[in-house]
Amino acid sequence: MNKPKVGIIGLTGCSGDQLVILNCEDQLLDLVGAIDIRDFLTATSANDTESRLDVAFVEGSVVSQKDEDLLRRVRERCTILVALGTCAVWGGIPTMDRDQDRPALLRAVYGDLNWEYDTCPAKALHEVVKVDLNLPGCPIEKDQFLATVANLLNGNLPLLPDYAVCTECKMKENNCLLIEKKQVCLGPVSVAGCQARCPSLNIPCVGCRGPCTDANLKSAAATYAENGVAMEDVIRKMKTFAPVPVSEQP
Amino acid sequence: MTQTIKIDHLARVEGHGGITVNLEGNAVKEVRFDIYEGARLIEALVVGRSWEDVPQIVSRICAICSAAHNLTAIKAIEDAFGVQVTPQTRALRDLLYRGESIESHALHVFLLAAPDYLGYPSAIALAADKPEAVKLGLRLKKLGNTIQEVIGGRAVHPVNSVVGGFGATPTFEQLFALRRDLQQGLSDCEAMVEVLATLPPADFCHTPTVFAALDTAGDYGYYEGNTLRLTTGKSLAASKYRKLTNEMAVPHSHAKHSHYDHKPFMVGSLARVMLFGEKLTEKAQAAARKLGLTLPSDNPMDNNKAQAVELLFDVEYALETVEGMLREKVKPETPVEIKPKAGTGTAATEAPRGTLFHSYTFDKQGKVTAADVITPTAQNLACCEYHFRAAVDQDPEKNPAVLAKHLEMIARAYDPCISCSVHLVVSR
Repeated sequence: MNKPKVGIIGLTGCSGDQLVILNCEDQLLDLVGAIDIRDFLTATSANDTESRLDVAFVEGSVVSQKDEDLLRRVRERCTILVALGTCAVWGGIPTMDRDQDRPALLRAVYGDLNWEYDTCPAKALHEVVKVDLNLPGCPIEKDQFLATVANLLNGNLPLLPDYAVCTECKMKENNCLLIEKKQVCLGPVSVAGCQARCPSLNIPCVGCRGPCTDANLKSAAATYAENGVAMEDVIRKMKTFAPVPVSEQP
Repeated sequence: MTQTIKIDHLARVEGHGGITVNLEGNAVKEVRFDIYEGARLIEALVVGRSWEDVPQIVSRICAICSAAHNLTAIKAIEDAFGVQVTPQTRALRDLLYRGESIESHALHVFLLAAPDYLGYPSAIALAADKPEAVKLGLRLKKLGNTIQEVIGGRAVHPVNSVVGGFGATPTFEQLFALRRDLQQGLSDCEAMVEVLATLPPADFCHTPTVFAALDTAGDYGYYEGNTLRLTTGKSLAASKYRKLTNEMAVPHSHAKHSHYDHKPFMVGSLARVMLFGEKLTEKAQAAARKLGLTLPSDNPMDNNKAQAVELLFDVEYALETVEGMLREKVKPETPVEIKPKAGTGTAATEAPRGTLFHSYTFDKQGKVTAADVITPTAQNLACCEYHFRAAVDQDPEKNPAVLAKHLEMIARAYDPCISCSVHLVVSR
């Protein structure tokens, strides 16, 4: 059997999801044996940027024409496009610019630009091209990435959790930070898959994996209200990692 | 005759950048380190946010340096609010910072830099011929990640470190397991020195260089301290960082550059070893000798050697810290209470790639009104171009393929983190 041809490509972002791939230290050499990595600029200087790819993993969000052009080229040359990480899936931290005056933000950071600077409001991959699979997380979880590769090698798509972080938190028998400590925890409205990492360390969930599309928003809103947590704090916090549409706000 | 050497996409670095050198005859006309990374405007986006949200948001500036950004923001916020943390918190932060440095250096030395010396395009290709060397690097990299997972709760973008302390204290069992990993790590470090000592020399850029680093006051470290030192003998307070990082528009380049006393300066492992190398253990100093790292250094390629020396030292230091914690039993602590107040807080720390500055101004509710982040790579760009120029000048043959390889190796020796650097660097 021919090994599937794979590209690991970064748009604008922190490279955290590519770093998680490199952090699979125990599996890395098996991984590069099982797939044919054609294009991985962060790890190698021998890249083939033209040939067909069976799978392209794309990290980061689109914040420039250059990003958008690259993403369209990748879409054309790949069969399965996987959005890798919350920036790719939802837009991530850069989309905090959604309700703000972007030219003013640019001036605030860079001063007055006297030249044409390639920049545009931050977008998720699905806002530009068709995405076949979403792997959220800021960064992605190692085991979910490896499970995804294993499933793709067998011709399947992976089963990823679509329930809320609260489900995993209850399984770990943690004390509830929202109900018992009245903290702004996004567990009820954020998608699971992290084994409730933060609440397990007494840290409220910041929603870095993005919203849970299967959340019971009415019940979450009632629970926040009962515990004296202001809804505007919840929404502001949710919008840190994803420009959550109103239909997915509690 | 004019000639251009252009590297469009610099591989094996974090983020997107390129190199351009224009020659006229044998004279270097222009040298540019181009940055293609898009603008994410993180400093503008934290304005209006509560102090509590800041360390998690700014850690996303960069993944490899995420603990550095997170902890430096915490140090700046604590400076603004006058927070005093417990000795245990200080020790755990020191350990977390070293964990990141171990991971970052192992990744850079073995997976990014080493393939150049041996003529391979990547560590993946290198692994086919020298699997043991790559596995050794991966084990050390994993050790750094394990420290970050145990102390920070996650290897990339730590969650457990917060203003005032930690969400949860690591357990005795976790630290006991970490001790075993560190013991293995120490023998791996000795093997690392043996392996790296066999690499061919990289002798194509020698020029007097100014180095700068944070004086971490006590032991050789990365987190504490507030005074910056330069190899010119000058010092300045971290709160006056703008004097050091003053962004100068330079005519030959698109980027604003950092100069001090009109000279570019280099930050990072080599700068730290240059300024504070006498604080290293005998074992680490012996490793430096074995690797042929002679001080004072005039070769930016020595940064790779300095990283290896720091890696060994940090494993030794972390092992001692963990053994101390096991002896004295870590006790569960909760973060100290925070009372926000209006004012500015500034912090400098030594990130794996060099001195990192964070400065925030808050209103009396503790909401950010101004934020400024200056990264090591941004400070290094001017010096990196200075070294590019020297390498081209010093090459008698000016063979474009050889020069391109040397320029890439110099860029990579700086271990640039381009995601980080875009704060003050804009490509035309």
